[in-house]
Amino acid sequence: MRKSPFNTILSGLLIAVMTVWLAVPFGMALLWSLVDPSQAWSYPDILPPKLSFERWSLMWDSTSLPIAMFNSYSLAPMAGVGAVLLAMPTAYAFGRLEFKGKAVWQTLVLVPLIMPGFVTAIFFASLLFSMGFFARYPAILVGHVVMLLPYAVRILSVSFSLVRQDVVNAARDLGASPISVFRVAYLPVLKPGIFAAFLIVFILSIEEFALAFVVGSPDFTTIPTILYSYLGYNFIRPNAAVVALILVVPNVILMLILERLLQSANPAGISGKG
Amino acid sequence: MRNAIRIGLLLAPGVGLVLAFMGAVLYRAVAQAFGLYDFSGTSDGLSLAHWQDVLTTKRFWRAFQWSAYIAASSAVIAVALAYPIALWLRKPFRGSLILSAMLKAPLLVPGLVAAFLLVNVISYHGFVNEFLVWAGVWAEPRRMQNDSNGFAIIGLQVWKQMPFAFLLLSGAVQAIPDPVLNAAQDLGAGKFARFRKIILPLTTKAMQAALVLIFIGAAGDFSFQTVAGPPSVNSMASYMASLQGSEGDWNGAAVVAVMLMALSLFGAIGLTALVQLITRTLGRLA
Amino acid sequence: MLRKLMTTTLACALMAGPAIAYDLTEMSWDEIVDEAKAEGELTWYVWYFQPEFRQAVKPFEEQYGIIVNIPDVSSGDDALNKVLAEAGRETGDIDIIALGGQAGNRIDVEAVFLGPILPLLPEADRLSDEAEGVNWQGYGVKYWGNQTGMAYDANRVDPETLPQTLADLEAWIEANPYQLGFNYENGGSGPSFIHNVARNVLGITPDSVVDEVPDLVSVYDWFNSREDKFGITASNADSLTRLNSGEFLIVPAWEDMLFGLIRKNEVGDHIEFYIPEWGMNGGGNVIAIPKNAPRKAAALLFAAWLTSAETQTALNGVFGSAPANTAADDSNALVPNDQRANSRVWSAPLSDRDVVPGFIENVVQD
Repeated sequence: MRKSPFNTILSGLLIAVMTVWLAVPFGMALLWSLVDPSQAWSYPDILPPKLSFERWSLMWDSTSLPIAMFNSYSLAPMAGVGAVLLAMPTAYAFGRLEFKGKAVWQTLVLVPLIMPGFVTAIFFASLLFSMGFFARYPAILVGHVVMLLPYAVRILSVSFSLVRQDVVNAARDLGASPISVFRVAYLPVLKPGIFAAFLIVFILSIEEFALAFVVGSPDFTTIPTILYSYLGYNFIRPNAAVVALILVVPNVILMLILERLLQSANPAGISGKG
Repeated sequence: MRNAIRIGLLLAPGVGLVLAFMGAVLYRAVAQAFGLYDFSGTSDGLSLAHWQDVLTTKRFWRAFQWSAYIAASSAVIAVALAYPIALWLRKPFRGSLILSAMLKAPLLVPGLVAAFLLVNVISYHGFVNEFLVWAGVWAEPRRMQNDSNGFAIIGLQVWKQMPFAFLLLSGAVQAIPDPVLNAAQDLGAGKFARFRKIILPLTTKAMQAALVLIFIGAAGDFSFQTVAGPPSVNSMASYMASLQGSEGDWNGAAVVAVMLMALSLFGAIGLTALVQLITRTLGRLA
Repeated sequence: MLRKLMTTTLACALMAGPAIAYDLTEMSWDEIVDEAKAEGELTWYVWYFQPEFRQAVKPFEEQYGIIVNIPDVSSGDDALNKVLAEAGRETGDIDIIALGGQAGNRIDVEAVFLGPILPLLPEADRLSDEAEGVNWQGYGVKYWGNQTGMAYDANRVDPETLPQTLADLEAWIEANPYQLGFNYENGGSGPSFIHNVARNVLGITPDSVVDEVPDLVSVYDWFNSREDKFGITASNADSLTRLNSGEFLIVPAWEDMLFGLIRKNEVGDHIEFYIPEWGMNGGGNVIAIPKNAPRKAAALLFAAWLTSAETQTALNGVFGSAPANTAADDSNALVPNDQRANSRVWSAPLSDRDVVPGFIENVVQD
C-alpha cells in the first residue's frame, strides 16, 4: 500500500461529496414520502408541517401497488430461471468448445443490449398485436428472458471455461455417469455463476420499464410502470416518493448480495489456481 | 458435420432464440416504416409516405438533434470522468475501496428513481435552489426543469452510466502488467509519455466500448427525458412512444425507430473512429 | 401430471369461450340484476382517480355483492387504443370503460360497443348520451361532467387582479413574467387554454360559425412573442404540482382534479380556481360497454348505479364533478354558478384538434 497525503485527502473529500450526493436526494424523497395526508406541504413552508407513515399505508391500500409488486416479484424469478436454463447450452459451447465463427456468435448474442429498449418493446408489441396474442404476462416474461439472456450467457460462459478438464477426465475415468460428472466436476464451479446470472437477470427484470410499459399498456402494472405513472401523467410528489422508495430499497439489498456473489465467483477462488 | 449439428443444437436455445426474436422485431420495425402492416387499414403496401410525414416535421428533427446531443455529451463526459479515476485507483490505497464501491452505487438505483430524486432536488423551491439562494449565489430560484441545454439529463446519464465506464476502464487499466510500466520508466519515459505510448493504446478498446455503450443507451433514453427533461422537446424514444401510444401511428413510430437505430449505429462508428484517431495522433507525437 | 394440465387447459379454454349468450334488450330489469349478481364481478377501465374510485364504488359492491376491479390504466388514449385493438377478439378484458366525450369522433361506436344502452337504464330520461359536443347515439352514457379553468395561488394573487379577457391576460403576463405555466400534452387543461386563447386572438366568439380553419399565424405569433414569459409543463398534474410549490402563480387546471387533490391535501387549499371570461372548455366523460365484454349484465347494472341520481350526488361531493343526472344535487363545486357561462365546447367553433397540433409544431418546437 502506498501512502500519500494527496490520495488520502482527495479520497476523503470525494467520499464526503458523494455522501452528500446520495444523502440529500434520498433524504428529500424520504421527507416527501412522510408528508401527512392531513396537511399539505406547499410553498412557502421549508419543511413539511406534519410527518407520519400514513401515506405509506394509504398507497398500499388504495393503489394497485400490491398487484404491481406481485407481478414484478413473480416475473423476475421466472425470467431468471428461464434465462439461466436457456443460456446453459450456449454458454457451454462458448466456454468449453472451439468452433468456427465462435467470435461472431459471441458478438451476435449481445444484440439485445445495443437495440434501444423502446424499439424492441414497440415492435414486439406490434408482432403480438398481429398474432392476436393478448396475454400480457407471458408476453412480458418471454421478452424479459430474451432481452436479458446475453447477461446469463456471458456470465455462464466464463463459469464453464473455469471448469478444469482434468477433474472432468478424472471423474470419467472413475466411471461416473454423465450426470455424476456434471454434479462432481461442473456444478461446484458453476454454482456461483448460476447464482450471479440468476440474480442479475432478476434485478434487471424488476427494473425493466420499456417492455412492461408498452406491452403491458394500458393496465398491466409492474413496479416501474406504476412508478412511471406517478412520475409522469399523475405526478403527485409525495405519492411518487413512496413508490420510488419501495422500488429502490429491495434493489439495494439484492445488489449487495450480488456483489458478494460476484466476488466469491472470482476465477482464482473457483479454480484453486490462485 | 456431426460436430456442426451438435454446436448448432447447443447454440439454438441461446443465441438462436435471441437472433430469432430480435430479427423478427427488427424486420417488423423496418417493414412498418415502409408502410407494411398498417393497422389503421388505410393502405397496405410498400410506401415512403410515412417517411414523408415524419421527416417533414420540426418535432422529429428537434428530437433527433436532441438525442444525438445528449448521447454524445453524456458518453464523452462519463468517459472523461471515469478514465482519470480508473487510472488513479489502479493501485489500492487507504479509502480507495470505499471510493470505488461508492462510484458503483448508481448501479443500484433504477433510472426512474434517479430521475425522480433529481427532479425533487432541482425543483423551483427544491434543495439546490433554496440553498444557493440562501447562500447568496443566486438572486432568485432558477427553473432548472425547463433548462433547454438539457444539463439535468446529461447529468443523470453521466451519473447512471459512469459506473459502467469505470468498470470497463479499470478492468483494462488493471490488466496492464506492472513490468511493462516499470520498464518504460527505466527507459526514461516521463509520465505523459508512458500514458500516451503504453496506457492509452492498451486501453483504447475499453474506451471505445464504454463510449459506444453509453452513446447507444443515452440515444434511446425515455425515462430521464419524460421525467426530468424539458417538456418542450422529445427524445427519439419519447417521440416514438408518443406517436405509437397517443396517436396510434405505428408506421410513423417505425420511421422514428429506424432513424434511432441509424443514429446509434453512426454515433457508435463515429466515436470509435474518433478514439482511434486521437490515440494514433498522440502516439505519433515524438 | 399431463392429464391435470390438459383438464386445466380445457377449463381455461371453456372459460375464455364465447361470451354467455343472452340479450340484455330482451330481459326485464330484475332479470338483468339477477344475471349481474350471478356474474359477481366486473372490470371497469377508467384512466383517472383510480384510487378514489376504488373507494367510491364500495356502496355498489355492498349493495349487490358484485366486485368492481379498477386496474391502473396509464392514460385515456391507451385505454381507447386497447378497446380498438381488441375489438376483433371474441371475449375482451373490459366490461365497461370510461372515455372522454370526444373519443366518439374517433370510433365507430356502433361497431365497437354494445347498445344502445341508454334506453335500457331505469333513469334513462334523466341522462344524456351527449358529451363534449359528440352524440354517442345511446352507446355511451354521460356520467361525468368537468370543467377546465385557471388555478391560482390565492396567497399571492389578489382575486380582483385575475385576468379575465385576452387583453387582461396580455397585461398580466407582461407584469408577471414566467408566472404562467401550462402543458400541451398529457391532459386537456393546457390544450383548453391554448385553444381558447387562439379563439380570442382570432376573434372567434362562441356563437360564430367557422367553416374552414383560418390561418393560425397570428396565434403562433401571440405565443412566440411571449415565449420567454410563460413556462411549458409536462402534464395536468405537473402544472398543479409546480403551482403548489410556488414556481407559478397561475396555471390551467381541471376543476375536478384540483378538487380531489385539495381534498387529499396533495395540494394546499390556498390554490383556488376560476373560469375566466375568455372562456375555458368544459368536458364530459361517458361510459360504454364493449361488444365483447365478458360480463355484460354486471356492466349494465354498474352503468345504472353510476349514473343514478344518488351516486351522481355523491360523486359531486367527493370529486366536485358536475352531475350528469338531472335529478342530482350539484352544490359542491369550486366556482360559483355564474362563472359557468364562460364554459366553452371543445369541438366548435374551431376544434381544438385544428389548433393544438399546429401549436406544438410552430410554438413548442420553434
